[in-house]
Parts: sequence; C-alpha cells; structure tokens
Amino acid sequence: MELIVALGLIVLKVALLIAILLLLPLPLTWLERKIAGHMQQRMGPMRVGWHGLLQPVADGIKLLTKEDHIPAEADRFLFKLAPILALAPPFVVFVAIPFGESVSVLGNEITLYVSNMNVALLFIFAVIGIEVYGVIFGGWAANSKYAVLGSLRTCAQMISYEIPMGFAVIGVVMLAQSMSLIDIVRAQADVWNVVYQPVGFFVFFVAGLAEAQRIPFDLAEAEGDLGAGFHTEYSGIRFAFFMVSEYVIMVLVSVLVVILFFGGWNGILLPLPPLLWFALKVAFFVYVFMWFRFTFPRYRYDQLMAIGWKVLLPLSLANIIITGIVLS
Amino acid sequence: MSRALERAGTWVGWAFFADLGSALALTFGYMFSRPVTMQYPDKEKWVPYSRYRGHHFLKRDEAGEIKCVACELCARICPCDCIEVVPYEDENGKRHPSKFEIDTARCLFCGLCEDACPADAIALGQQYEFSSFSSRDLVIGRDDLLAKPGKAATGGSVVAAQLNTEKIVLVETKEPRGYNWWRNIRRT
Ligand code: SF4
Ligand code: SF4
Repeated sequence: MELIVALGLIVLKVALLIAILLLLPLPLTWLERKIAGHMQQRMGPMRVGWHGLLQPVADGIKLLTKEDHIPAEADRFLFKLAPILALAPPFVVFVAIPFGESVSVLGNEITLYVSNMNVALLFIFAVIGIEVYGVIFGGWAANSKYAVLGSLRTCAQMISYEIPMGFAVIGVVMLAQSMSLIDIVRAQADVWNVVYQPVGFFVFFVAGLAEAQRIPFDLAEAEGDLGAGFHTEYSGIRFAFFMVSEYVIMVLVSVLVVILFFGGWNGILLPLPPLLWFALKVAFFVYVFMWFRFTFPRYRYDQLMAIGWKVLLPLSLANIIITGIVLS
Repeated sequence: MSRALERAGTWVGWAFFADLGSALALTFGYMFSRPVTMQYPDKEKWVPYSRYRGHHFLKRDEAGEIKCVACELCARICPCDCIEVVPYEDENGKRHPSKFEIDTARCLFCGLCEDACPADAIALGQQYEFSSFSSRDLVIGRDDLLAKPGKAATGGSVVAAQLNTEKIVLVETKEPRGYNWWRNIRRT
C-alpha cells in the first residue's frame, strides 16, 4: 500500500513537472518578445489578447497546424529523432532538481523534488550532454549547408564550454562536500556560494549561456548568418520541439545557477516562502538571459573557442586550486 | 604618464566588463522609455500633410456643377494610362465627363493629372485607406470620385482612431499641430 502511494506521488510529481515545463515556454516567448520590443522602443505583440498575451497560444496553434515538412534529401530517421533527442534530456534533468525542502499537505510531508540523488550534479551534466546530439543530428540529417554549419558550430561550442562548466561546479562541490543539490543548497543557508565562488559563478554563467545557446553564444542558430542554423529545415511541431527545448534549457541553466551559487530557496532579508524565493531568483536569471540577448552581439566562432579554452578553462582550474588551498 | 594611466584604466575596465556593463545599462534604460510605435490602425492614425498624394477626388464649383470640362488632358498626361474620360455636352452647351474612371490599382500617385488639369477639377487628397480584395473595385467612377473627401484643412498629426472597415473615415484634427517624430526618441 505504501509503495503504491509513494509511486503515485512520484507519478503525480512527474506529471506536474512535465505540464509546467511544457507550458512554461508560452509565457516565456511572450515575455521575451515584450522585453525585446521595449528594449528597442517597440511594443512587441499587441494584437492577440490583452497586450498580446494570447500571442503564444496563437503561435502554438499555428505551429501545430503547419505542414511538417521533411526535405527530400534528408536522412529521415535522424531527422525525426533529432527533435526528440533535443527535447527529452532537459525534461529528464528536472527529475534531479529540487525546488525546495518539503511542504506539508493534509498533514503529510511532501518533498519538492522527484528524487534526491547523491550524484545529482553528475547526472545533470551527463544527461544534458545528450541534448547536444539533438542539435548535431538535426543539422546533419537535414542535409542543408546552413544546418550542417550550425551543427558544426555546436560541436565546437560544446567541447569548449562543457569542460569549464564542469570544472566550475567542482568548487561548489568542494564547499558543500556533496554532489547532491539539496545538500549544496543546505550548505548555503548562511552565506551564498557566490560570495565564496565569484569566479566559479562567472565561469558557470558564461558557460551556461553557451549551453543554452543564447546570445552572445547562439552560434548554432545564428539567424543573421545561417538562416536559422541547425533547425533551418524544420517546420511545424518538430520546430516547436526545438523551441521548447531551448526555453527549458534556459530555465534549467537559471535554476542551476540559483541552486549552485545563489542559495537555492534560502532567502535573505524578506521572509518569503522558500518556493517563492526560488521562483523569484530563477525569474531574475531568466530575465538576465533575455536582457543579454537584446544587448550583446554574437561572438564569432573562433572567439567563443578562445574564450572557452584561454579564459574560462584556466579560470576554472585556478578556482579549483585556490578553493582547495583555502579549504585545507 | 597620464596616457599610461588611461591605458591601465581601460584594461581594468575590460577586466571587469565595464563595456558590457554600460551596454546592459543602456538597454535597461531603454526598456523603460516610451515606445515609438504608432499603433496603426488599432489606436492611432496618421493624417498626412496636405501635400500628401492620396486618393483622387473631383471638385465641384460654387453652383455645384462638376468642374471638369472633359478636356482629357489628365488622361493624356497620365504615365500609367489609367484615366478614362468620355465627354458629353449638357443643355447649356458645356462639356462635362459622362464617364470618368480612374484605375487606382495602376495609378502611381504622381499627381501629374492634378498639375495638368486646366480647370482645377481633379486633385489628390489625403485618404490612403482604400485597399480592396479585388482589383476591379479599385476602378473608381465619376460619382464616387465626386463623393470622395477633399483635402482636410489641417494635416500632419496623429489622432486617436479605431480601425473602421465599414465606412470610409477621414479623421480631421482640431488643432493644427505637427507630429514630432522624435517625441519619444531618447537623445543621449
Ligand atoms: S496620379 Fe499620375 S498615375 Fe495617377 S491618375 Fe494621376 S497622372 Fe495618372
Ligand atoms: S479632370 Fe481636368 S484635365 Fe482631366 S478631363 Fe477633367 S478638366 Fe480635363
């Protein structure tokens, strides 16, 4: 009996999580277009619903009803596989992410995470790495020069940022003496990690921008020079998969930044509910992502590699060594 | 010495991303400035200046008689060959057009017909909203041309307006004020 309840609870949580993550891109696209508009002294969507609030719904319907086109020369199997490979990993990763300690519902303690893995960080990095295959396969399978160039850039980008990103979190792991995200947040109850690990935060954030393929590192889908990059040939629902995946990863990177460096659900000054604190911090970082997007130009592909190997990697290594010396 | 200091300052600025920071501050500031978008046709409408060449209209004289004497000069000068005039003679022995058609689908709104007219009978007004689903509807006949609104007394301003697809509205403004395109542009 207890097993069934526990199982039902997990299924419920997963379903809720998936529903939230699937719906999240709707307000986020609206927000992004509004922020873009106002930063450029425009208004953004205004016509569908109040201040364009229903625009994402209209776009969603449009995407769902559009023709799902597969180019004649495409590798059909990979072409169909790629959007799924891009969409699934970001959702899977959220299994390991805690949103708070626990809440009591009807006298029962319900934890605000699906599973408390002791190697959560490793799991996240392993799974999120798979997402890149979606991008690479998508570009390759489409058999179009723009798409191939997009995925080529993704390969180069991936190898130059994933290593610094992995190294950047080692400092945090050393401080918390654990790889479990919950323990990491608990370790930050008094002082947030960003105070001890500003360099680690910087490296992680920059690498995170590259991970989420956002400007200034959105080389894989540089609209200006590659059409739409790796998803040039995609249309309809498959294109929507890539878009949803992009937004979920953006949220994921924000969540990771908050958990690893900004104290997760630990609040300061204001005694707000932990979950609200968490949401506010994540929202702030999502905003920062959009803010960056409409401020910075795109880095060139060799510049990204140079940043990854010549700046971020040495910085993250130095960070580990210094953290180690100070801790011992 | 001072140049060296300046150089060092630049390097320190770069190390702490002063340039990126100032860019972020700029866009953040812009986010709270007023947008320059003119919300046509939902909320605002632009009444063009009186020099604007919009839809043609035919004028009447004081007696209410059509001014046009059907000399066909406008049809001659029209570079698009889109005016068709068929004259007739009324009981007083005056020439008037029995048929006057302008194919606005072909018209390039050059205003040459207005310049050529010896009787000051035709002019291009300020109306610019006459799109149509069929190019046939864009051939405007004599009576429609007579009924078209003339030039508004004032022009060149943005007025509150609503999209109105039912009837043709030319919005006249009360105060003759020019539109300052730069009203919301921040000058830094
Ligand atoms: S405006 Fe020019 S093109 Fe149009 S009817 Fe007059 S002369 Fe012809
Ligand atoms: S509109 Fe003017 S130019 Fe044209 S036929 Fe009439 S009088 Fe002649």
